[in-house]
Amino acid sequence: MSTPEVGVPRKGGFNFDLCRRNEMLFSKGIKPPSFLKTGTTIVGLVFKDGVVLGADTRATEGPIVADKNCEKIHYMAPNIYCCGAGTAADTEAVTDMISSQLQMHRYATGRESRVVTSLTLLKSHLFSYQGHVSAALVLGGVDVTGPHLHTIYPHGSTDTLPYATMGSGSLAAMAVFESKYKEGLTREEGIELVAEAICSGIFNDLGSGSNVDVCVITKGKTEYLRSHQLPNPRTYVSSKGYTFSKGLTEVLSTKITPLKQKQADTVPEGGDFMEE
Amino acid sequence: MSIFEYNGSAVVAMVGKNCFAIASDRRLGVNLQTIATDFQRIHKIHPKLYIGLSGLATDVQTLSQKLAFRHKLYVLREERDMRPETFASLVSALLYEKRFGPYLCMPVIAGLGDDNVPFICTMDCLGAKELAKDFVVSGTASESLYGACESMFKADMEPDELFETISQALLASVDRDCLSGWGGHVLLVTPTEVHEKTLKGRMD
Amino acid sequence: MEDMNLNAPHSMGTTIIGVTYAGGVILGADSRTSTGMYVANRASDKITQLDDNIYLCRSGSAADTQIISDYVRYFLHQHTIQQGQPATVKVASNLIRLLSYQNKSMLQAGMIVGGWDKHEGGQIYSIPLGGTILKQPFAIGGSGSSYLYGFFDQAWKEEMTKEEAESLVVKAVSLAIARDGASGGVVRTVTINADGVTRKFYPGDSLPLWHDEVVAHNSFLDILAGSSSPEPMST
Repeated sequence: MSTPEVGVPRKGGFNFDLCRRNEMLFSKGIKPPSFLKTGTTIVGLVFKDGVVLGADTRATEGPIVADKNCEKIHYMAPNIYCCGAGTAADTEAVTDMISSQLQMHRYATGRESRVVTSLTLLKSHLFSYQGHVSAALVLGGVDVTGPHLHTIYPHGSTDTLPYATMGSGSLAAMAVFESKYKEGLTREEGIELVAEAICSGIFNDLGSGSNVDVCVITKGKTEYLRSHQLPNPRTYVSSKGYTFSKGLTEVLSTKITPLKQKQADTVPEGGDFMEE
Repeated sequence: MSIFEYNGSAVVAMVGKNCFAIASDRRLGVNLQTIATDFQRIHKIHPKLYIGLSGLATDVQTLSQKLAFRHKLYVLREERDMRPETFASLVSALLYEKRFGPYLCMPVIAGLGDDNVPFICTMDCLGAKELAKDFVVSGTASESLYGACESMFKADMEPDELFETISQALLASVDRDCLSGWGGHVLLVTPTEVHEKTLKGRMD
Repeated sequence: MEDMNLNAPHSMGTTIIGVTYAGGVILGADSRTSTGMYVANRASDKITQLDDNIYLCRSGSAADTQIISDYVRYFLHQHTIQQGQPATVKVASNLIRLLSYQNKSMLQAGMIVGGWDKHEGGQIYSIPLGGTILKQPFAIGGSGSSYLYGFFDQAWKEEMTKEEAESLVVKAVSLAIARDGASGGVVRTVTINADGVTRKFYPGDSLPLWHDEVVAHNSFLDILAGSSSPEPMST
């Protein structure tokens, strides 16, 4: 289990030390914690010469909006991006992990990463955890074999589709795609349709909200359009805001510690300076 | 009852102009019984980097010790302090390692980076980072804190105003939470000074 | 949303069929993949290639059957290189059986292997849930198969022609689609014989109508095809 040297950085992999204790706590009627979820709308489609990915930007923790402008389109490789839905920690960790494996693979081969490579790495990781790593992904990219779009489910199954949606808003977004998608869309039509599908999720699904992020990948070019649309601007803030006069809060004790200024390339005070 | 409600907590961090503040309540309870009124939830990593940990007190202490240790190892190896972004990644990795048996606490990280750019971030107990430009909250009073900060926060506050704002937001929020309170603890960090203040709050 | 069970594992409540005829085999499947009540993919391909002349019909958990077929495809490639000749249908089927049997507590997979080799001609092997292997003249599987047992007992004949067998498979899958809620979409077939492999695709609105079914109006396919129903596509 734990390494003999206490706390020495581990090589990697999960650690199950606290499982028994937590299980004991939960068995005594204490509720397990809720995790940060991205109750999400994420979509992707293939257009004439590439792939468009889209995502909303709301992160939730139960009914609370934990983050109003989070990033759900994750970097995999310069030519491959991946939208994530499900437990935020899992989507983040799994995409980071695989993107570093892809980087190592590129160093070893000196070739551009392929979408199928990331697909296989992602699905085999997720399959080996039998759905406990809950990441639902929409993977898109353009490689030497052309544009590709895949969906990956937490249990490790994958689909290859011309247009795909995932997350709690997937039904709303799929309704838009099913009625408007056609083959051979232009870049602008693609972006517009993706934004419309995300907006459909934002406005019809409670788990999705805030802004529209878009990522357009074409041969040799990737554009990450963060906050492509802002359909929900803040409306309730007064221009002046609250002002609190100085000394309003009752303070019991104060301790002020001056910070040492950074002394770059100076001889340490008082000590003999040793030349190398 | 959720495990986060066992000890009760409120942690908040806010960004000002070239400065930041991080604050927490001081109560340690066991369910509805108060055990201590001077509990430390904010831990110093180095003079310009702090972590506030809400949630189960035992894990708060374990994790803070682990993090202090890892930071010392980093300083020995690198001969410099960790950047806040690096530290956030470390915390995230440490939490995600226990994905299937997590530490039952949620961190709030606040620090001044190079060129005194403030950095704040919070995570869930699995290490999902949530970066924010304005404020982050955590703990049993988080719902009230969201509301208070959402209305009280202004961009680019000077240190004095930032202190008043974060203090008022914290005190207002813990008054609506049975499980946190008993005054507050505020750390205000500017490029030149660290102000450590204890706030007077309701004792009920 | 809870009731729809969107977080259920991706599974294929399916109709899959494998039939031998004089000179080869025909595999058939619907194209619906569902998560609980939601159709996650309405045009999925459940007939997966394992080797040049060996194909696999998958039913059950999508993740499990994809992993099995990935492994077996890899094993067959190795086998082909080591032996210097293509693997037989029997070898492929037994590899699947081995994986199914050894991991039976972990897997939810019912599969039908169909293929042609020079030793034994066209063969169908059925590998249901626990990892049994059954060599059969025809096999049916998936949730839709319960509607087809009687039909096959009546309609299947030995030594059918390719055309007879193909229309039997399409008819059977369309019957199952009509009665089984978990099956739907299009019909895909794969014909394998001494001449090679032929894939065919029958859109949902080109399928025969059965008892109480009504003609689809203004379906998505109509709009795309300009109201005339498209011919079966073949590759």
